[in-house]
Amino acid sequence: MPQYKLHYFNLHGMGELPRMIFHYAGVPFEDVRFEPSEWPQLKANMPFGQVPVLELDGKLLSQSYAIARYIARQHGLAGQGDWEQAQVDMYADCIKDFMINGRPVHDEQDPEKQKVLMTKFASEKLIPHMAVLEAQLAKNGGVLVGKGVTWADIACYAFFNHATVKHPDILKDSPNMAALVSQIGSNDNIKKYLETRPAYH
Amino acid sequence: MLIETFYRQIGSEIVTNKSFKFSMPVYKLHYFNNPRRGRAELSRLIFSQAGVQFEDVRFSHSEWPNIKPTTPFSQVPILEVDGQVLAQSNAIARYLARKYGLAGKDEWEQAQTDMYIENIHDLLNAAAVPFMEKDPAKQKELYQKFMTDTIASHVVAVEKQLKKNNTGYLVGKQLTAADLAYYAFFSDFIEVKFGGAFLKDAPLLKSLIDRVKALPNIKKWTEFRDSKYPEEN
Repeated sequence: MPQYKLHYFNLHGMGELPRMIFHYAGVPFEDVRFEPSEWPQLKANMPFGQVPVLELDGKLLSQSYAIARYIARQHGLAGQGDWEQAQVDMYADCIKDFMINGRPVHDEQDPEKQKVLMTKFASEKLIPHMAVLEAQLAKNGGVLVGKGVTWADIACYAFFNHATVKHPDILKDSPNMAALVSQIGSNDNIKKYLETRPAYH
Repeated sequence: MLIETFYRQIGSEIVTNKSFKFSMPVYKLHYFNNPRRGRAELSRLIFSQAGVQFEDVRFSHSEWPNIKPTTPFSQVPILEVDGQVLAQSNAIARYLARKYGLAGKDEWEQAQTDMYIENIHDLLNAAAVPFMEKDPAKQKELYQKFMTDTIASHVVAVEKQLKKNNTGYLVGKQLTAADLAYYAFFSDFIEVKFGGAFLKDAPLLKSLIDRVKALPNIKKWTEFRDSKYPEEN
């Protein structure tokens, strides 16, 4: 069994998806978490000064989605064949875009400005793209691609599991997505992980 | 969904017509004509390096409102493959790279190739901020900030990786889409915006960019591209 180590802050952020893929697949890994105060010393060891980083037999891989895709492909969660895998990548990138485009909204301190940014983000990206995902789930029998859960579905779970803490109504118009999130959340490994996972922050 | 229907029909006709010799999928890559490179160029370079025919569809911003509803996520680039549609620039590039031997020789190398493609994706996202700025003075300031805050440290980091890998390529011992991605992004800066000064302390990266530029299929593509689509900046 390969010795996997995942390095990230003791936060959800971009590290949560790789963690959840490991857990969903039932693959043991060392979940190395550090506090922001420790980061300045650790940063120099990371290839591009960023985390998450996957360490495997001394080799380092950065970029959360490259890590997620690698783990998923190693453990049968990436889709069957080139075309399906590309579709999975496409849906996963949709979730990544939510996170990237949502970050400036989340980081804005001024409540008035934040409201404006949130409205723009929701109307231009979040709501229309959630509708696309919802339609695909309805069309494809409850998972995004092919016949089983892929890491694109897990990416949806990780995103909405986090988002529903501050925005509990986010899935009110997306029953298929809500069902997917519930399905992934009821996986035994994910349930066990959530019991011991450090609290939301 | 006119485009999809049309191509799906062609695809099914080809499949049912037994006398038709059909070995290569019909590819159509759709993107804006300005920025002419942006998020589509990596896929064009992959097609070109692999010697694979594709239709390079470019449309103007005034045509976009009509095209937008035909795309899965109201975004481009999109790739049509025998009438089926794939969105997201990285998903497209990765699909083509894997299909045409430019993705790395094993799973770990493929992951590294992905990593470098994601790096460039992040840099493109960061560059979009100054790119979108309308005020020329403010834009100049934002580009300067981008160069010092984002590009400078990235160049140092990638130079270190090139030195460590010690093959002249970013991943393994041969050309991958990672090298093409870095060429696409950094050659845009060199040729169009800033000149090569920011690479003065990165001889390996500079040499990689020059080496990709000189590859026969890449040279053929860029010469064709530059004469057919002069820079509109």
